[in-house]
Amino acid sequence: MVDNMGASASNEDNYMINEQERLLPIANVGRIMKQILPPNAKISKEAKETMQECVSEFISFVTCEASEKCRKERRKTVNGDDVCWALETLGFDDYAGPIKRFLHRYRELEVDRANQENGRNIRPKDLE
Amino acid sequence: MEEEENTETIRPEFPTGRVKKIMKLDKDINKVNSEALFLVSCSAELFIRFLAEKSAEVAKGKKRRIMKLEHIRIAVQSHRPTNDFLLDSLPLPAQPSDHPITDQSHSRPAAEKPVPAGTRRIDDFFNKSANKSPSQIDNEES
Repeated sequence: MVDNMGASASNEDNYMINEQERLLPIANVGRIMKQILPPNAKISKEAKETMQECVSEFISFVTCEASEKCRKERRKTVNGDDVCWALETLGFDDYAGPIKRFLHRYRELEVDRANQENGRNIRPKDLE
Repeated sequence: MEEEENTETIRPEFPTGRVKKIMKLDKDINKVNSEALFLVSCSAELFIRFLAEKSAEVAKGKKRRIMKLEHIRIAVQSHRPTNDFLLDSLPLPAQPSDHPITDQSHSRPAAEKPVPAGTRRIDDFFNKSANKSPSQIDNEES
């Protein structure tokens, strides 16, 4: 792995590029954290970086579980229900409620969008 | 934890392209449809909120205004599902810097020194098993 002291510039650049791909932007992460904290609180840079790592792990963890379910059921594409299932299975049932609402709303919006494109008048509740 | 987003247009906080890249790091992942991408993005945000909230409680309990890695670590440990997948990923506690620490009696990582651009302390965690010298491990404080 890269030793920062002795690394050539190109090694370090490549490493940084990989980090960019592997992590969510620290600005976004920091902003969300700030919303949770009281106004006078601060967050160390290390804590933000740690949170970046944690959330990437979380994404990988949930995705892997959802993907595994697909594999067992011989499906190729991970869908929203798989993600919901994975969250519940992995113990994040606190998220299940909000996430299901997001999913429901997302599907409604998708239908609306499709209807607008197709000029049809199918309403979301017709699909339930 | 905020549960209701503006449902007119739900916009996840994160660039979906980046979320997708992270999901695809695992070569076993085939295809992911757009709603799955959307939900992973949303749940990632929920996760940050959740962990930040717990970490803030830890910091507050210790009467600290600055959230540190240690607060996050304790928060992770306090929630079993999170602990199960995350604890091994966190940097080891309080690795001292290269300078000898004379009177540290607490687990305060030397993390507040500003890092030069292009250098991230977090890379310690990739190297933690490979690069940590025995003397540093001996200095580890609990």
